[in-house]
Amino acid sequence: MNYLKRFLIISTADPDDARKRKILNILLAGTGFVSFLAILLFSYLIATSRLEMVETSLLLYGSIATFAGVTILYAINARYSGRIAASIFLIFLSVIFAFSDSPEQVSSGRALFAFTIPIFMASILLTPASSFIFGALSSVIISWLALSIGLTPNYPAIIGFFLIAFVSWLSARSLEQALGELRIINVNLDRVVAERTLALAESLSRERIEAGRSQAILNSIADGVIVFDKKWNATLANPAIRGMLDIPLELIVNKNFRELIEHPRLSPRSRGLLLAMIEHGTQPIGFRIEWSEKTISVSAAQVYDNQKQNTGTVIVFRDFTREAEVERLKSTFVGIVSHELRTPLNAILGYSEMFKENVYGPMNEKQVNMADRIIKNTQRLLGLINDLLDQAQMEAGKLTIQAQTVKTADLLESLHGLMDKSASDKSLRLTSEIDPDLPDALTGDPARLQQILVNLVNNAVKFTDQGSIHVRLFRQDDSKWGMEVSDTGQGIPESETHFIFDTFRQVDGAATRSHGGFGLGLSIVKQLVSLMNGEIRVQSKLGEGSAFIITLPLIIPEGVSARWRNT
Amino acid sequence: MSELALIIEDDEDLANIFAEALRGIGYAVEYAVDGKIAQERLRNGIAPFLILLDMHLPHISGADLLAEIKQDERFAKTTIIMTTADARMGETYGDQADFVLIKPISFVQLRDLTNRLKPKG
Repeated sequence: MNYLKRFLIISTADPDDARKRKILNILLAGTGFVSFLAILLFSYLIATSRLEMVETSLLLYGSIATFAGVTILYAINARYSGRIAASIFLIFLSVIFAFSDSPEQVSSGRALFAFTIPIFMASILLTPASSFIFGALSSVIISWLALSIGLTPNYPAIIGFFLIAFVSWLSARSLEQALGELRIINVNLDRVVAERTLALAESLSRERIEAGRSQAILNSIADGVIVFDKKWNATLANPAIRGMLDIPLELIVNKNFRELIEHPRLSPRSRGLLLAMIEHGTQPIGFRIEWSEKTISVSAAQVYDNQKQNTGTVIVFRDFTREAEVERLKSTFVGIVSHELRTPLNAILGYSEMFKENVYGPMNEKQVNMADRIIKNTQRLLGLINDLLDQAQMEAGKLTIQAQTVKTADLLESLHGLMDKSASDKSLRLTSEIDPDLPDALTGDPARLQQILVNLVNNAVKFTDQGSIHVRLFRQDDSKWGMEVSDTGQGIPESETHFIFDTFRQVDGAATRSHGGFGLGLSIVKQLVSLMNGEIRVQSKLGEGSAFIITLPLIIPEGVSARWRNT
Repeated sequence: MSELALIIEDDEDLANIFAEALRGIGYAVEYAVDGKIAQERLRNGIAPFLILLDMHLPHISGADLLAEIKQDERFAKTTIIMTTADARMGETYGDQADFVLIKPISFVQLRDLTNRLKPKG
């Protein structure tokens, strides 16, 4: 079959041309085959002398000529031009038909219909319109034959030829159009398929590159990474985790989380933390575990795929041993400083008080005054040290907020106890109020709330030269309460309001020098407020005063009158 | 007879100030400069009315001493004032002592507090 196909099909760029040449080939092959059979038959008849020699010889030569002609046409069709081959073939066919019968029969008898064949085939083998040319050719042939024998040309047959040509033209044209459209559809389809295939191939290779890159990143980062599926089976672990935990990857991958945390090098406390993480689904941003001598920080994150489906958890382990040691040293240092600095200051304070209290004999007014100044300065120094220690503790994350019951009235009472004197020393009035809808008692850290108020009032006293300082405790709404400290001081330039809570910062250098202090007060206040999950903001007008407003979550302790809850 | 106060404090100056405050209002005062000496004094039978206990001590820590004192029947009536520079220490052991004073401790403050503690009459 393949051989036959190769024999018949001629490959050209134009599919219409190829189709037409293929049809011509089929016709030529058929004609060639028939003429070949005729050659054999007539040769046999001549050899056996069954028929009259002359006529049979003519037929034999005719068949041989036909076969030769067909072969030549096949060669022209295959090598040179389908159109020329087809034209010659059809003309050849028409001429054969013209002499295939007696002129009467050809011009208006039984052979007349043979001419419809080249007319019809012209529309298929050449252009659709060429059927008219062969209609005309056939008309000329039959008219000429009729005239040669003295007959009138057969006009109805001529009209018939043109009708057939017309129908052939119509059908061939439609066929070509339909084929053309089909071809366009096919071409489009092919293009779409090609595009899709290309896109698919690209995305596949991109995915492969991405996967390779992710793998390379995972392999080279210093942090240990283990990826767990939804059932907490480890699906992936990077080389860093092997070095960190000092166990082979085979003992990690495909193991369940619960199995992994049974490892004896993990401290029991750490095991509890990790177990809590997976059992309660609580995943703190980062926590520490102890693995033999190492401290490792652990942070976990849920993994979501493109469809936002949770596919598991990735846990990142970082060797925190050195940092933990530094932190421990820092904490020790803070402890030592807090003890070693405060002890001698305590002695200075105590001895000065003893002078003032006349323990070593009566003192004159000037001496008492001096003792007072020593006491005051020592207290200031102690305050600064406390600020530094608080700052250090907050940086180390060691400062914790207690949840106790705080009486709002107590807060203000002790604030007055501590700050009234500082205010009156500068001839300032320190006033306070509690909004009636604020509960008498709420949950908070009394010492730290006190510290916030003292720092704010201290700050207000420092920056106010005349007028008053007002402290207000208020209820903002059902879930928030607040503290406001306002003053009639110099105010803060608007450009500076963003920086005033920064550590070691005071508004302009000159102010720093004239007001003293480390600039830690507001920074500590801000940090304490955020540890309490609250917010602080400042409203200030230059030359008129400032107001610091703190809002905190309102938690009413058990046992406090229900009246407060429903407000 | 004066009430006995035992001051357990490794800093000489502070011990001196505390002693002055207590003597000034009529206490009899004994010192112990470290945990070990304090432990020996307490085991040898002195029964102070008041103990001023520093938490940071050489040899035996204030916390250990505190635990021992709390277990001893003889000191059931003794008032214990814990002194420490570390507020966290105060929070941790605060409920075992009668009073917690965070350093710096004011001479006047201590004098007034211990004066109030003295038995009336």
